[in-house]
Amino acid sequence: MLKRISLPSSVRWLLPVVLVLLFVAIVFWLPWQARQLESTERQEQLIADTLWVEQSIRFQLGRHEESLRGLANEIATGHPAPADVQQRMERMLKNGAELKSVIQVDPHGRVVVASEGAPVGAGTNAMLGQSSLAAQDHARRTHSPVYAEPEPLGGDAAPDALKMDLHFPIYRGDQWMGSLVATFQLSSLLDEMVPWWFAQDNQISLLDRDDKVLARRSSAGPGHGVYTHKRALDLPGATITLMTDSVKGEPKLLPNLLVGSVIALSLALLWSLFALWGHISRRLAAEGELRQQMSFRTAMENSLVTGLRARDLEGRITYVNPAFCQMVGYPAEELIGRSPPMPYWAPDVMEEYQHRLANVLAGSITPEFETLFQRPDGTRIPVLVFEAPLVDKEGRHTGYMGSILDISDRKRMEELNRQHQEKLQASARLATMGEIASMLAHELNQPLAAISSYTTGALNILARGGDTAMLKPALEQAGAQAQRAGQIIRSVHEFVKNRESERQDVALQSMLDSILVLIELQARQHHVSLQIELPDSLPLVRADRLLIEQVLLNLTRNGIEAMGDVQPLKRVLRVVAENDPLAGMVVVQVIDNGHGIPQDVAERLFSPFFSTKAEGMGMGLNICRTAIEFHGGTLTHRDNPQGGTIFTFTLPVAGGVK
Amino acid sequence: MLHIVDDEAVVRDSLSWLASSRGIAATTYDSAAAFLAFAQSGAFDPEGDCVLLDVRMPEISGVAAFDQLAARGLTARLPVIFLTGHGDVPMAVDTLKRGAFDFFEKPFNDNQLMDRVQEGLAASREASGKAAVQARLATLSSREREVLDLILAGKMNKVVADELGISMRTVEVHRAHIFDKMQVKTAVELAGLLK
Repeated sequence: MLKRISLPSSVRWLLPVVLVLLFVAIVFWLPWQARQLESTERQEQLIADTLWVEQSIRFQLGRHEESLRGLANEIATGHPAPADVQQRMERMLKNGAELKSVIQVDPHGRVVVASEGAPVGAGTNAMLGQSSLAAQDHARRTHSPVYAEPEPLGGDAAPDALKMDLHFPIYRGDQWMGSLVATFQLSSLLDEMVPWWFAQDNQISLLDRDDKVLARRSSAGPGHGVYTHKRALDLPGATITLMTDSVKGEPKLLPNLLVGSVIALSLALLWSLFALWGHISRRLAAEGELRQQMSFRTAMENSLVTGLRARDLEGRITYVNPAFCQMVGYPAEELIGRSPPMPYWAPDVMEEYQHRLANVLAGSITPEFETLFQRPDGTRIPVLVFEAPLVDKEGRHTGYMGSILDISDRKRMEELNRQHQEKLQASARLATMGEIASMLAHELNQPLAAISSYTTGALNILARGGDTAMLKPALEQAGAQAQRAGQIIRSVHEFVKNRESERQDVALQSMLDSILVLIELQARQHHVSLQIELPDSLPLVRADRLLIEQVLLNLTRNGIEAMGDVQPLKRVLRVVAENDPLAGMVVVQVIDNGHGIPQDVAERLFSPFFSTKAEGMGMGLNICRTAIEFHGGTLTHRDNPQGGTIFTFTLPVAGGVK
Repeated sequence: MLHIVDDEAVVRDSLSWLASSRGIAATTYDSAAAFLAFAQSGAFDPEGDCVLLDVRMPEISGVAAFDQLAARGLTARLPVIFLTGHGDVPMAVDTLKRGAFDFFEKPFNDNQLMDRVQEGLAASREASGKAAVQARLATLSSREREVLDLILAGKMNKVVADELGISMRTVEVHRAHIFDKMQVKTAVELAGLLK
């Protein structure tokens, strides 16, 4: 997991918001700036072009001034013929269409020479007009060329056509010899001297000092008044301003595709940003939900009383829940990552675990089994384990998940149940055996005690040297009591005969089957494996079912309990039966691998009230032997060559020797 | 006198015969009820008597009969020996604690039983004698008890008179009364009785 810089959430949100706002501001500022830039550029272009136009007008007018100066000098110095003068004038006219006419006037105002196209006839004053005359006067006084204020052209020209006169005084020395007057048509000035490419983009006007339009050229339509520039023509005597006005309007807000696409992309960017934002929010919500689910699950696992344990394919523990830790008494840190052998394996059941682990590694698991775990303090807990393969999201097999149930309580209940049941059965069977024993004891006790008393009394009398005649009734009584004892013995025979009537032809297998549950319960509890080997050909036996079942229960229990100290793999109890056709008997052997029977114990093994067990009544083997002998069989024992003891009993085959 | 209580005629007869062979007089009862009836009658004197009581009997068991005898205060002077056919150690201990004289389990050694019966008869006689002496002592006045104690201490009449601050004559009268009430003739005999 990445380490995250923890910022207050307000600051974390502030940064992107500020950035987005900045971005939006720039997106709007940039086209505006571009527009400003374009506007400035155009303005500057216009100014430059206007200057150019002004220069070319000034230049053209200058050329005309030069020509007039030459002509004036010639007139002043050389008296040229009027025809020559006129010829020169005609040449000047050809040099520029803006120049409408040139005339030479004498100091009295009379026209000396006039070019073609000059108004003829009318008086010079009337012809020249008011401002022209003022200019003439001005020029004469200053000895330098002076332009007159524009005036209507008059004559056959258009009524709104204006002219501008240039008065060039002619001096010979200090003597004024008249003037040369050149008349320019203002409109022609613009038409001739403004280049076409400039006129195409701009409306060009000439203005007088009151900003009144004198002449205008607008071949591409009227100007928009957005880009304008004024430039004074700087003509001596006349105040004329050149004004240009671009036909182009203000630049459009989105003048080009570039800006448009930038904005479109920006919008797209913003949209995707918001989409991302939304995605992140959804993701955060999902993450929160996941975390809640996780904590829910963790709480669930922690509250379980069932232990959970996951193992990988090598048998290493990858997960345990608290219930499991509590069950085995080790903390999770000590368990996770552990490879077998596990600390909670009981040492004496180790082989069983190893065997199962080998199976697991080979890929085959036992889905449900019972086993033992051992806590660090040595207490053992019987557990029931359910295991299932663990599969990851790609469907790959990654290990095993096991749930473990502590079945101590169940085991205890089973054990209690078993003991209870066994006690019931034992008492039922003991009642049968006890009936005989008790009856014998009680019935024989009285006559025997009486005989004893009579004989002792008789001996007392003899010892005292008393009257021997007294002895007769006593001895008669003793004889009678001996008779009675004999009768009792006979009645016991009767009783046994009665029990014989309960004998039946029964298969050993069916008797074993009916008590197998009890034997197996006990075997499992002591980790003893049970092997029963009964040949199919075994004949039926003639037996009192209850008694023989009791014998089998007693012998198997003795065998199982005798193996308590033997290592688990060797704890095998075998019940083997075979037919002995010669003796007409079925021989049953109960074989254990237990501690065997020491010699001193063996001698008293079948005596009543003898027991090596703390809880034993000492009646078991005694009753067993009595029961077997009632059936006409024998019960014996010998040492097992492989260690332990073999108890052997025989039962008569059904229909055989009675 | 030995009282044999058993529901089995064989046992009653054989034990009675055995007792007579040892010179012990015996009477038999076939049930606890029969014996209790006799014990209640005026003819019954527990002095020098002993009871052989079978534990297991129909109707009233031996233990129940013993309880009734104990309730009448008889067991102190009348030793009871239990007989049982079934070894039952807890019950035996219980009855012995409650004052039974002994407990025999069948089959028993007959002469050992008879020895015990004779001890029981002797104990009964002794207990009865002690009871009689106690009864006589109870008749003495308090002054007579004081005089008695001093006589038993071996003091002469004169010394007794000095110690009790009475006259010799009075001491002699008391002494005569004490001998009379205790049914003795000499001080030696008196000391033997109160030993």
